[in-house]
Amino acid sequence: MSDVVEKTLTALPGLLSLDSLPGSNKLSSSSKLGNLIRGITELTSKHEEEKLIQRELTSIKEQVSSPNTSMRQMKELMVRAIYCEMLGYEASFSYIHAIKLAQQGTALEKRVGYLAVSLFLNESHELLLLLVNTVLKDLQSTNLIEVCMALTVVSQMFPKDMIPAILPLVEEKLNHPKEIIRRKAVLALYKFYLIAPNQVQHIHNKFRKALCDKDPGVMTASLHIYLQLIEENPEGYKDLTTSFVTILKQVVGGKLPMDFNYHSVPAPWLQIQLLRILCLLGKNDQSTSEIMYEVLDESLRRAEINHNITYAILFECVKCIYTIHPKSELLEKAAKCIGNFVLSPKINLKYLGLKALTYVVQQDPKLALQHQMTIIECLDHPDLIIKRETLELLFRITNAQNVTVIVDKMLEFLRINKDDYTTIDLVGKVAELAEKYPLIHVFLSFGGPLLPENGKKIVKYTSHITTLLYMLK
Amino acid sequence: MIRFLLLFSRQGKLRLQKWFTPMTEREKKKITRDMTTMVLSRQPRSCNFLYWKDLKIIYKRYASLYFCLAIENGDNELIALEVIHRYVELLDKYFGNVCELDIIFNFEKAYFILDEFLMGGEIQETSKQMVNRSIEASDMLQEGDSSEWFEVELFG
Repeated sequence: MSDVVEKTLTALPGLLSLDSLPGSNKLSSSSKLGNLIRGITELTSKHEEEKLIQRELTSIKEQVSSPNTSMRQMKELMVRAIYCEMLGYEASFSYIHAIKLAQQGTALEKRVGYLAVSLFLNESHELLLLLVNTVLKDLQSTNLIEVCMALTVVSQMFPKDMIPAILPLVEEKLNHPKEIIRRKAVLALYKFYLIAPNQVQHIHNKFRKALCDKDPGVMTASLHIYLQLIEENPEGYKDLTTSFVTILKQVVGGKLPMDFNYHSVPAPWLQIQLLRILCLLGKNDQSTSEIMYEVLDESLRRAEINHNITYAILFECVKCIYTIHPKSELLEKAAKCIGNFVLSPKINLKYLGLKALTYVVQQDPKLALQHQMTIIECLDHPDLIIKRETLELLFRITNAQNVTVIVDKMLEFLRINKDDYTTIDLVGKVAELAEKYPLIHVFLSFGGPLLPENGKKIVKYTSHITTLLYMLK
Repeated sequence: MIRFLLLFSRQGKLRLQKWFTPMTEREKKKITRDMTTMVLSRQPRSCNFLYWKDLKIIYKRYASLYFCLAIENGDNELIALEVIHRYVELLDKYFGNVCELDIIFNFEKAYFILDEFLMGGEIQETSKQMVNRSIEASDMLQEGDSSEWFEVELFG
């Protein structure tokens, strides 16, 4: 490795004179992007900004259409075009040139070309077809970096109809000696599965190979596909439960290389994917659930550290425990966990605790009762999101005794809430409750606070009000 | 799955945008406007999660930049918060004490890092080394030069 390091060090002074360096202070004054940005920040009005950007776009348009522009200049023009589009100005004349840049440029130019394509275009854009040839060529390149770039762009967008053309090339990359290529190939296949599932039916056994790959990165990538497959058909994959449990055991037990640790937690995103998969597999299935109990217990125990990511894992664990076939010791531990969340002074954790309670309350209403003081406090919390979450929880524990109070609180919330989507949701809930427990005074409250304040809402909620009117006849 | 990622300043100026599902220009503009209004009007001590249509919005402020992520309903909010944090850590490692100016003037680098880290709306669990090495190696790509020895650097 040492002569590579030497080569790197000798090349550095040459590279440092370029304008593509981290840190704005190292940006050379001749950089056109730097000038553009500085120009914009100096302006004070939107109108002036528009004028400046339009001038810039006209100049870019001239230069991209000129036959004398080199690929290096084109790269620089693309970056400025991306910037202008980001600010909200249309630069569609540059799309075709982005594809050209990806096709004809080398190395960094190609990279910027692909980046521009992934930012400008989307799956339904007609120009995307032109990209296919470039990608096909790059996938067969001997330069591995070009292969990586092609796979990256394919995983982001690809026209559905051209998948058969590219599938064999991507498939063969699954066996590539380098793990970064294998991983990107798996992700590209995941994308294909999402947009055209019937095209990738025949290679399911290759996904299994990826699951057993010795590189954890490739294995994690295959889990995305498995989560999707298992969501659609849990029965077909029950035989893999032991494999998933084994992998999770190894991760939780710290058997992965130290490199995969995030704040001393081993591969948290991998743990969460596995927990989600196990949740789907163990649902309504006692024998499958029994395989998982030990590893779930272990995960609960290991998550002792005080970091957000640990809480995230705990949340998934708790969700899993409550979804699969119940086991009392695990349920007890999970309940304790939820209790800790709800009582936590950290607001994000309180939110998660409430969410967990909502999820859990059907199976275990006593838990909500245990924390009712905190729940009542949360009702009056200054943060609307916590309030809303609490109302969501209360909706699920209404009974004949507390329904009036709960509906009153919901109406109170509706008065201060400004978000249409939430309002519709809550009004629906109130209507549901009113139907279950006939409440005359709800109708009266409806007529009161809602109508004068939000005129347009009358139209939307007329259907709800007429339902109530009908019921009360 | 992550639907989109936006970075904007305290004045609502967009610094980075990444959309993981196809959207029209008008939709993108509307969403950006909605996000900036919603997030900027949040009180400092409130929780980092918001509801918007049928998605959940996770946001966090780092110095003068707001990072805003939209996830679907079944996803775990806290983990999304950590996704944001992980991205910030990667940016910090790459730029060395990253600040908003780094991202403004080198946004294409920020995009490169993002692409190595989030793919198709899902996070890739790769070792930190892998992400950093692939960024650094690609950085060394010089126009017109043969990049074979850079491959050795990348692939070790």
